[in-house]
Amino acid sequence: MDGVFSQLCVLGSSLVLIFGLILLWRRGVTAYISAFTWQSIVLAGVTVVVAYFGNDHELYWVAACLLLLKGLVIPRLLRRMERRFAAERELEPYVNTATSLVVSGLLVLFGYAITRPLVALSQLPTRAGMPLAMGLILVSLFVIISRKKALTQVVGFLMLENGLALLAVLGTYGIPLIVELGVFLDVLMGFLVMQIFVYQIHETFESIDVEQLNRLRH
Amino acid sequence: MTTFVILLGPPLVGALLALAVRPYRRFVAWVNAPLSLCSLGAALVLWSHLLAGRVPTSGPGEFLRADALSTLLAFCVSVVAALAAWLGPGMSRDDGYTGAEARRFRIFANLCIFAMLFAVTSNNVGFMWIAIEATTITSALLIPLHVTKASVEASWKYILIGSVGIALAFGGTVLGYFDFVSLAGRQEAALNWTVLMASAPHLHPQVIQLAFVFILVGYGTKAGLAPMHTWLPDAHSEAPAALSAVMSGVMLAVALYAVIRWEAVVNASVGTGFTDGLYIALGVLSIGIASFSLVIQRNYKRMLAYSSIEHTGLMCVGLALGPLGVFAAMLHLINHTAAKSMMFLLSGRIRERYGAADIRHVSGLLRTMPVTGGLFAAGTLALVGLPPFGIFLSKLAMLRAGFATGHAWLMAAVLGLLAVAFVAFVGHLNRMLYGAPPDGVATGETGRWALVPLAACALALVWLGLVLPAPVETLLDRIVEITTR
Repeated sequence: MDGVFSQLCVLGSSLVLIFGLILLWRRGVTAYISAFTWQSIVLAGVTVVVAYFGNDHELYWVAACLLLLKGLVIPRLLRRMERRFAAERELEPYVNTATSLVVSGLLVLFGYAITRPLVALSQLPTRAGMPLAMGLILVSLFVIISRKKALTQVVGFLMLENGLALLAVLGTYGIPLIVELGVFLDVLMGFLVMQIFVYQIHETFESIDVEQLNRLRH
Repeated sequence: MTTFVILLGPPLVGALLALAVRPYRRFVAWVNAPLSLCSLGAALVLWSHLLAGRVPTSGPGEFLRADALSTLLAFCVSVVAALAAWLGPGMSRDDGYTGAEARRFRIFANLCIFAMLFAVTSNNVGFMWIAIEATTITSALLIPLHVTKASVEASWKYILIGSVGIALAFGGTVLGYFDFVSLAGRQEAALNWTVLMASAPHLHPQVIQLAFVFILVGYGTKAGLAPMHTWLPDAHSEAPAALSAVMSGVMLAVALYAVIRWEAVVNASVGTGFTDGLYIALGVLSIGIASFSLVIQRNYKRMLAYSSIEHTGLMCVGLALGPLGVFAAMLHLINHTAAKSMMFLLSGRIRERYGAADIRHVSGLLRTMPVTGGLFAAGTLALVGLPPFGIFLSKLAMLRAGFATGHAWLMAAVLGLLAVAFVAFVGHLNRMLYGAPPDGVATGETGRWALVPLAACALALVWLGLVLPAPVETLLDRIVEITTR
């Protein structure tokens, strides 16, 4: 039983990471949004698997919130933004696609290196997925610093949050529910504020390219 | 229980009132301002409990808890909150803000202050994280109160870098929780700081160290530590003056508070050597970057923002220098809160009069606004660490701690960097104070009553520079016990 559980977790975590990598080689925001949506759905799936095998009923609620918030509400808002800025594609990121993929490969390896003490310490059957979650966290950070469009950065940030959620669910079967709900609220609020700012950037600068945000220096 | 309600309630009431009254009426601010003093009173009551040797707690499972560290921060936050409430937008008719802007300020500034007070009194490190994230969201909304290209840019950098930093701190929290759960199994109270502290000696050293790296980078971003500080000068200089005072005066300190909470757990687990090394590295880097950036500043609000980075760096170095160092760092925190919130509020007055944030466009300050200029000069001299101001004493104590713990070279380097900052700061101050005022700038102070609380800040700084009051000393001693036991 533990064998199936463990393999399902690794499979799910790998899918979550792969959806994160899509940000590195696709150019269109539409692809980013679908990648994020599917990533969130798989993440909710992993949470359900952990809830079922780990016999933890609280996690079903977490999975439901995940699905509702990150699988439905946020993607909808993202699509609405995308319709406004459809013409703006990630044409020339600071780091080109080939280099990005190499860097993210190295980052995933680095994720494996720093999570070694975690995997050694944990007794849970889910532990093998933790390095993948750490890999996603690092890759998302890289996306945020190497991409120029505000919207891409927002998706990168949301994926960073997904990586953290995955780490929490695999490492500890989820943090206490009440704290988790607060975190969901913060994620939603943070996203809404970012959305306001993206519109504001577009209104004041007539584009959402963050390269123009260079008035304030030194 | 009642104390905590009186502490946390007023900002919430202020925010709800501002939310309910639409369009904005000035009575909202006039209710908000006296209410802010209730929080301050509650913080003082917490302080008196502490002096009597009690640690007030409240709610199920010690949900809220105010030990010495919490009390210090709650006091600082409520002082600055009161300053912001009395001197912020919306009190008088002609303060340069429309009704809608004043309403937005009253809603989100109050929510931000509530979140900070909750962060420092929550015993649960998970809720502490949620509250600190909420401070980012609420304060970011206030930066583009006047929408300009610069303020939009500043707010975007702030929300993005701040949120990413805070997300990493969440990663650290999860790792800390993971360490606990792997040892003791799952339990509801595992995120309570008191529970974490009790089990700290048994935690897995490597995991808790990894967790602390995430925590330090994460909350350090919010505290303005280099090299994660890049958002800070933009956000603090573009925000309205009252919000800058809150952000620079206490929000950095609240983020540092979160780091110290976790540091206590790590120290109890693996000894102080690990955290000391990290603190010194980030602290010295922050002081260095800030000092040299001060030299090339042309904007006085950015100058103050870089000075905040420098002082946060100093506090960090102090935290690494043994018990006396922690004592000095916390004393420094109080002094910095008083000095920096005063300075940002003064800079708001200067900007209103001169209509420019550029140092080159501000001259003859002593002639146009004698009291504001005088206080600005006093604040600058306090910030660079001259006697008779409190910062002189806390810096001196820090140096003594450094030499006592055998960090002579480190102290020499820090002193060198502080000298650079000193020269830069005093040079800028000279340019602003003297010379002929530009044409068309009126002479004479307006809104004189606003100078009273600001002068009180300056007096408090002098007072703390001459004596170390017994209640303060007891409070700081208790904090030292928490972090170095």
